[in-house]
Amino acid sequence: MDLSPNEKRLLIVLERVKSADPATLAAEMGVTQEAVIQYAHLLADRGLCTVDREVTTTYTLTEEGKQYARDGLPERQLLGSFGEKIPVQDLTRHPLARIGIGQMKRKGWVVVRGGIVEKTGNDAPGEDELALRDLSRGGPGLTELRRRNLVVEGQETRYRIAITPEGLECARRGLDMSEEVGSLTRDQIISGSWKEVKLRKYSLKAPPRKVYPGKIHPYQRVIGEMREILLCMGFTEIYGGIVQSAFWNFDALFQPQDHPAREMQDTFYLRETMPLPECYGRVRDMHLHGGDTSSTGWGGRWSREKAEQCVLRTHTTSLSIQHLAAHPKPPVKAFCINRVYRREAIDPTHLPEFEQLEGIVMDKGVTFRHLLGFLKEFYHRMGFPGVRFRPGYFPYTEPSVEPEVYVPSLGWVEMGGAGIFRQEVTAPFGITHPVLAWGLGVSRIAMLRLGLSDLRLLYKSDIGWVRETPSWLVGLDTRRGGE
Amino acid sequence: MPVIRLSYRYLEKMVGADRETILAHLPMIGSDIERIEEDHVDVEFFPCRPDLFSVEGVARAMRGFLGRETGLPRYSVMPSGIRFSVDPGLATIRPFLGSAVIRNVSLDEESILSLMGLQEALHWAVGRGRSKVAIGIHDLDAVIPPFHYIAAEKSRAFVPLDFDREMTLDEILDEHPKGRTYAHIVRDFPRYPLIVDARDRVLSFPPIINGELTRVTEGTKNILLDTTGTDERAVATAVDIICTAFADTGAAVQSVTIGERECPSLAPSERIVSSDDASALLGVSLDPKDLSLLLERMRYGAEPAGPSEVRVLVPCYRADIMHDWDIFEDAAIAYGYGNFDAEMPQTYTTGAPHPVMAIYAIAREIFTGLGFQEVLPFTLTNERVLAAKMQRPLKDSVLRVMHPISEEQTVVRTDLLPLLLEMCQLNRHRELPQRLFAVGDVVEGIQTLPRAACVSIHATADFSEAYAVADALARELAVAVSVEESKDPAFIPGRRGTLVCAGREVGVFGEVHPAVLNAWELEHPVAAVEVDLTAVPGYPGQPGTP
Repeated sequence: MDLSPNEKRLLIVLERVKSADPATLAAEMGVTQEAVIQYAHLLADRGLCTVDREVTTTYTLTEEGKQYARDGLPERQLLGSFGEKIPVQDLTRHPLARIGIGQMKRKGWVVVRGGIVEKTGNDAPGEDELALRDLSRGGPGLTELRRRNLVVEGQETRYRIAITPEGLECARRGLDMSEEVGSLTRDQIISGSWKEVKLRKYSLKAPPRKVYPGKIHPYQRVIGEMREILLCMGFTEIYGGIVQSAFWNFDALFQPQDHPAREMQDTFYLRETMPLPECYGRVRDMHLHGGDTSSTGWGGRWSREKAEQCVLRTHTTSLSIQHLAAHPKPPVKAFCINRVYRREAIDPTHLPEFEQLEGIVMDKGVTFRHLLGFLKEFYHRMGFPGVRFRPGYFPYTEPSVEPEVYVPSLGWVEMGGAGIFRQEVTAPFGITHPVLAWGLGVSRIAMLRLGLSDLRLLYKSDIGWVRETPSWLVGLDTRRGGE
Repeated sequence: MPVIRLSYRYLEKMVGADRETILAHLPMIGSDIERIEEDHVDVEFFPCRPDLFSVEGVARAMRGFLGRETGLPRYSVMPSGIRFSVDPGLATIRPFLGSAVIRNVSLDEESILSLMGLQEALHWAVGRGRSKVAIGIHDLDAVIPPFHYIAAEKSRAFVPLDFDREMTLDEILDEHPKGRTYAHIVRDFPRYPLIVDARDRVLSFPPIINGELTRVTEGTKNILLDTTGTDERAVATAVDIICTAFADTGAAVQSVTIGERECPSLAPSERIVSSDDASALLGVSLDPKDLSLLLERMRYGAEPAGPSEVRVLVPCYRADIMHDWDIFEDAAIAYGYGNFDAEMPQTYTTGAPHPVMAIYAIAREIFTGLGFQEVLPFTLTNERVLAAKMQRPLKDSVLRVMHPISEEQTVVRTDLLPLLLEMCQLNRHRELPQRLFAVGDVVEGIQTLPRAACVSIHATADFSEAYAVADALARELAVAVSVEESKDPAFIPGRRGTLVCAGREVGVFGEVHPAVLNAWELEHPVAAVEVDLTAVPGYPGQPGTP
């Protein structure tokens, strides 16, 4: 049995006295009564002593009550202040007249006639006066004193602590009285005195103090995983400006200037403009008549002003095409995970800004089958063993693919888009080899991984949620690749 | 994207297959099934395939895909002898006209609904909300040819659809529901487009509304079609798609003479494509015969025309075929995306993080080591957040969006600190201390710049804490800084500092001003730091444009 030193000391005293009240024990041990009661409860929990608790009602005089117990009730004092009779107006000068006159009348000690107060002679001490001398009398006198707020009722708890046979036996077996200490000190460690020291044991039943480590946001962690996968797959990371010219955001990707996605309902336009790159004429020609390719182009008109106007990038593809334009020679394997902007009102599933992931591969002889290969590999590594493909449509790819992944709770879920950049996109920049490209909304995967149904929580985060979400993301196994 | 309602009864009849087969294959020809209902399915088709915006068009493609009817659908067009003139005054207003006569139509309630659905979807996908193309369908027997497409006075009047009184063209723009919706397309022109018959009666006020005179009903037997617009190719495409849909129901399409030409011809266009190119793109070996067979299932006319050549006849309704690769994609669809053997190329490459992203990653590591929690605030914000609540002047370089969607998001953030204080406000009910950080882009002018910032809110947060964190950040990021007195009004005077690197201010730190705390309804002191990461050695500079 692991007794604390205090419990042991109490047990030793009890062995001698057998039974006592806390005051006695406190005096013996040199501690407070409260401490004795606390140790006794601990011993009682182990069955080594009993703690009997008796609650009694007590009556105590108030300050006013104490005063009257000494000097007599106000009416008694007042009665003694005059002879047989006295005019009322004289008596009212007495400091106790306000309480005393009424009480004397009520008790029948005096009568008042024609402005004269006259004693009746019937002034034996009442029950209240007897109770005032000895509160233990109780009865109606005490009730009267309580009514007059001269006595208050209280409760007194009395403890009786007695050793049990088990306690006696335990004490007789002998108790180890060497000291326990709370903490290990430098001195103890260096001097070797730790060998004699008994360290206090902690209870595992008490919950630990909660500490919240500094941590990366759960959504950033999901993004980080994807980034790691792409870096492992040999992709170079792209980063670039939030502000792009419509030229790089749309025209360079062969989006016609009257395309609905370019309208101001969907895109955040800016007053600022950016100069066009030197090669812009080749892009313009591609729009007008297909340049030197087998394409017919879009026909119609192409406005330089429209291309110069700035937008908040609507997709990371604007960065991909600039990367390709700067690196037109194979091989290029690049990716980007960054924020994009769409003019959408905020609701649980739509936000005006969100993250997009994009990967591109440009190499000699890459084909549609390689595109599907990259998609499978990427999604496998993301933790989706089931991947299938169906036709899709994206303005700047041909052929286009909509990959779907199998999510046990949801079935087949569309997960981004992919395709091979149209020649209309690549030819103006002197890119002669196919460019495989795919992209996806990162937040969608994050919501699946983090079990969220409201996108807004990713950006306007509840700190409580961030604190409680484990750093190690479980749910989908993304770390094993696709065996 | 337009959602097309396909009735099973009609679709099964047109395809010659049961609904299960059709539903199973719909996604494989390029569509998203929206809803499967008792008697119909709602399907979203890609905007590049307006020819699939009708039951007739879907059935035509499905018959080919299922192998029930392959190759080019042939359409014969006889001249109707009807002439349609175009007023040269329209050249600067709405110059292009397409037309056709469709005879022996048999319309019931369902087919009229389907026709209206097709018309609406075309207005959206090809017509760009009627500005590029608008389509009018008329009861031919209610009017007398020849027809004239004219630039009319705004005071002309006629009875528009769904009204029972004559209205002037301007009244229609002001009062008719369609007028109000589409007025912006024509309002600024001195004259308005109008289509009239031989007796000067009004058929249509394109692109706004038809006349009541030529309303199409279940009793309509012969149709006059008009398409008007600003893009010649799109105007022709709309005619081709509607005429082929009617022709598939058994109606007879006749041409109309516009100027010197007959419209429509419904003739295919020819392309010679290389099966080697197709093989190289798709990664499967296709000879001209293989490629031809695949394309025939996608309703092209296709035949080998050399050792690696295929002559392809592209149906007139396929407006999306601009490039050989568009045709190869269809071959891939016919081949079946599920039948491709996915593979990885052999090229060796090494991955590399972008320097800015690497700096962000290190900043995250430092902050988490110091006990800070990351948050990812929005980059779109407003002036109150950036300036008023911070007691700071708004930077001249702040970038405003032209058409903000709400008052909350009118500018792009120029600093991170205000967003972090906003985050503290959102989390007032959460246990303190809260130590939050963010790394990310801010925008000044049109430049995107990397930043890092943190806040610490608790009863004893003070300048010393901010100074210690700022110092740790600078040391860990290898930025050699000196410290000067700051004048930033967001902080308490005498409890704020500026980080200076190579003579340039690259950061600020201190104890946030109580007035700023009041503005954010925060009840405890806040120690804060913000650092410009362009000062970090290895920052590559602004991304240039090639």
